[in-house]
Amino acid sequence: MKSSPFRFSQRLLRWFCDPKLHPSIEGDLLELFEEQTTSKGVKRAKWQFLWEVIKLFRPGIIKSFTGNQRLNQMGMIKNYIKIGWRNVMNQKQFSGINIIGLTIGISACLLILCYVYNEVSYDKYHSKLDRMYRVLHAYGESESPTAEEYQVWGSAPAGPTITNKFPEVENFCRFTSPSIFLLENDTKKFQEDNIMFADSSTFEMFSWRILAGDPQTMLTAPNSIVLTESMAIKYFGTENALGKTLVADHTEQLKVTGVMEDVPSQSQFSFDALISMTSFYNMRPKIFISWGYVDFYTYLLLDEHASLENLREKTKVIYDEMDESDRHSLDYEPMKGAYLNSVAARQPGPVGSLTNVYMLSCIGVFILLIACVNFINLATARSVERAKEVGVRKTLGALKIDLTFQFLAESILIALFSSILAIGVVSLVIPYFHYLVGKPVAFEGLLTTKYFLLYAGLSIFIGLLAGLYPAWVLSKFKPTQVLKGKFKSSRNGSQLRRGLVVFQFCLAIMLVIATTVVYNQLQYMQNKDKGFTQDQMIVVDFGWDNAVQSRIRLLKDKYSAHPDVISISASRAVPGDFFPNAGTGIENPFGEIQYHAPGIYEIDEDFVPNFEIEMAAGRSFSKEFVNDSIEALMINEASLSLYGYSSAEEIIGKKFSQWGRKGKIIGVVKDFNYKSLHAKIEPLTLRFGQNRELRRVAIKVRSMRMQETIAELESIWNNLIPERPFNFVFLDQSFNQHYQSDIRFGRLFSAFALIAIIIACLGLFGLTVYATEQRAKEIGIRKVLGATIPSIMKLISQEFLVLVLIAAVIAIPISWFGMSNWLMSFAHRMTLSLGSFILPTLCIAVIAISTIGWQIVATARRNPVDVIKDE
Amino acid sequence: MGKFQLGEFEEIVMLTVGVLYGEAYGVSIKKEIESRLQRNVSVGALQSALNRLETKGYLQSEEGGSTSERGGRPKRFFKITAQGKRAIEDTKEMRNQLYNAIPNIALDVKFA
Repeated sequence: MKSSPFRFSQRLLRWFCDPKLHPSIEGDLLELFEEQTTSKGVKRAKWQFLWEVIKLFRPGIIKSFTGNQRLNQMGMIKNYIKIGWRNVMNQKQFSGINIIGLTIGISACLLILCYVYNEVSYDKYHSKLDRMYRVLHAYGESESPTAEEYQVWGSAPAGPTITNKFPEVENFCRFTSPSIFLLENDTKKFQEDNIMFADSSTFEMFSWRILAGDPQTMLTAPNSIVLTESMAIKYFGTENALGKTLVADHTEQLKVTGVMEDVPSQSQFSFDALISMTSFYNMRPKIFISWGYVDFYTYLLLDEHASLENLREKTKVIYDEMDESDRHSLDYEPMKGAYLNSVAARQPGPVGSLTNVYMLSCIGVFILLIACVNFINLATARSVERAKEVGVRKTLGALKIDLTFQFLAESILIALFSSILAIGVVSLVIPYFHYLVGKPVAFEGLLTTKYFLLYAGLSIFIGLLAGLYPAWVLSKFKPTQVLKGKFKSSRNGSQLRRGLVVFQFCLAIMLVIATTVVYNQLQYMQNKDKGFTQDQMIVVDFGWDNAVQSRIRLLKDKYSAHPDVISISASRAVPGDFFPNAGTGIENPFGEIQYHAPGIYEIDEDFVPNFEIEMAAGRSFSKEFVNDSIEALMINEASLSLYGYSSAEEIIGKKFSQWGRKGKIIGVVKDFNYKSLHAKIEPLTLRFGQNRELRRVAIKVRSMRMQETIAELESIWNNLIPERPFNFVFLDQSFNQHYQSDIRFGRLFSAFALIAIIIACLGLFGLTVYATEQRAKEIGIRKVLGATIPSIMKLISQEFLVLVLIAAVIAIPISWFGMSNWLMSFAHRMTLSLGSFILPTLCIAVIAISTIGWQIVATARRNPVDVIKDE
Repeated sequence: MGKFQLGEFEEIVMLTVGVLYGEAYGVSIKKEIESRLQRNVSVGALQSALNRLETKGYLQSEEGGSTSERGGRPKRFFKITAQGKRAIEDTKEMRNQLYNAIPNIALDVKFA
């Protein structure tokens, strides 16, 4: 029997051993092995063999890693880098254009990436986010309401009922909408309008960081308040506010049971403090069993295996439990992504716009493409200069693949260099970007290894994208042609260059058109007749303060006496404000009472004249009709069709019932825009507000000296109502808050469009420089033969202008299509006129001309002697 | 002086190759050293020393014919070259010189 050593030990030896030494060494080992099998046994011999093999793993015996082939490659790579660097330094102007263009492009992209990242990572800090859902409700008896008919909030029993009935629902948490409080601590007194009541389960479901207090119990006891960090500092000067007391609305003592971090900016709602829901329960216990009172944002925590579809199906049971007048459909919406995706009304906080995110991402890609096109254009344009190099390299034995690799390496180097510069640029620019976006944008979120690798990969990709075509073209040159000097830049190449310039300007023109349309639309919205007057209107919010409500008559009289005050009214809400909806039954044309949930404004008799709202039919509230305050209702025109009427006159005198009041419709107001112009004007009812239902006074003033007037109004207020600060806003300003995000988006959009144009022009400039240099001799000869400077300018600029024109022809229809789509998201939109397309195009043309202009002038004015003297 | 440099192990290998004149290949050298000097020699250490000496030009190798033993692998036989001969002589000379230079008193050590 012949035994042999472990096969793998022999294989191992063959793997690392120098092939020249291998046979004899293996022979020696085998000889020893055979000897040892007889002396020490097979097993030991085998291990001995392996051990000897391992000990052979030493320099001198291991074969050399680097064959000749590899060594050569390393040298070539060094050479590529060196040549690349020399090229960059040699052609400073072109390299500058390339690097600056790419750097700006990548920086812009990076900023957009930050913004998009920011937008898509809302609420992500909640650790249970994947299992959290919001309860939606849609009022009315419709079998299947559309997504837009749903509202995010709902009634109080929804949360507990759903959680009790369905085992897959683990927990629920309710927030009320923000309430207004006057909070006092010794000397400090502020009106707070962003405090919510919340269930004790809040901190089990949401992952806000607790700075002090016990998260399990801090929202359990009545009259407990949890402050955010900045509120704690505001009232107590320190974060350590635990156990201290705040007085709310002069009466209620609130005990601070906890301090939490400020709600992170990437949240679907923001509040300054939370008060225990039990406090609210003690105030108004009845609404906690009513399906009709709708003011609760309910969040559910589902278990891991729950199916949303299943739950939806089961939920239909609840519908039958509700009273007929309160019936509504329930639905659920995942909290994850709600910031961008939700279309339901009554959002608890700001919502993002998916369209905007897409549009900005598009711009980012456009900018990058434009920058890459610059690179491609300049690289191919200059190919003639490098043709000789290619010829020599090929003669010396370089393969096509080697050359491709060389040029790609160059472009990747430039891209990487630009990327590194871009990181610097972004970190410098990001504070200003905050201003542009209007909220802090986290750059830190992108500083993880994952994104770093992504970024590095992206840079290389950009290098490849920009370098692939030039590399392909350059490596194709035939050495015989280029070295003989017969070579000329190919017709195809310049054709492609033209194509790319057209493409670039196409993108630029589209961006400018988009910017113009966005701006015009914003202007349009702000200037549109809203159906009420908002100028010179001062609104004082007193938050239902009883001290004000009881003296409202007196206040109105005093103010009316002031010479600068034109008129004054009191109401619960003014246009642009939050207002509730109310289940309202109105007799339809067939004499049946029909229930819907239009919005509700509680106003006094001066509201309609004060805001100069026009009447479509009937009359407004009046002091002469004593019963107006208890049995009259007005509606707006948009409500007519809801209840089945086609003309305003028909509905006058019909019966209504709403929130415990019954009576007749007395008037129809013309539609006025009480929400932002994004939304359609929706059905609204206006009813007479009793004193205790009033929250704001609106004072219309006529004044050349606004400062003094306001000071006088304030002192009157302070004399009359010392308990409550004079908290005023100008209506036009507060109303325009609704357009803030649009305005910011417009700013953002135009900033990036500008960047795109700059980069495109940079490329055009580079090409002109190149073209004029190439044609310097031609121009010289033309001049010698009598061409004038203007004719030469025309000759060169024509070529480029034609390109811009072609670009315009392509860009206009595309942007027309795109922008009309964008406008669809506005209920009130401007009509797209040809002007908003022609003007931007002209604008681009002018910019293009001025970009290339001075270079062309300089060339045209050159003395022909300088250029044609040498040959 | 110092023109030829031989490490201690290298010197032993050179000398053994000399001793085994004509019969010096991996296994025989290993065994010879092991039996004469009572020390273990690994194949790795030996082979790398042999290689080194060959590149220095002190040894010359040639492959013998393959036999059915050793799994059909050839033996590599080593010979001392002329330069190699000078190298060991030189080393020996240097040792002797050093040895002779030691004053007698230093060697007159009494062992208790």
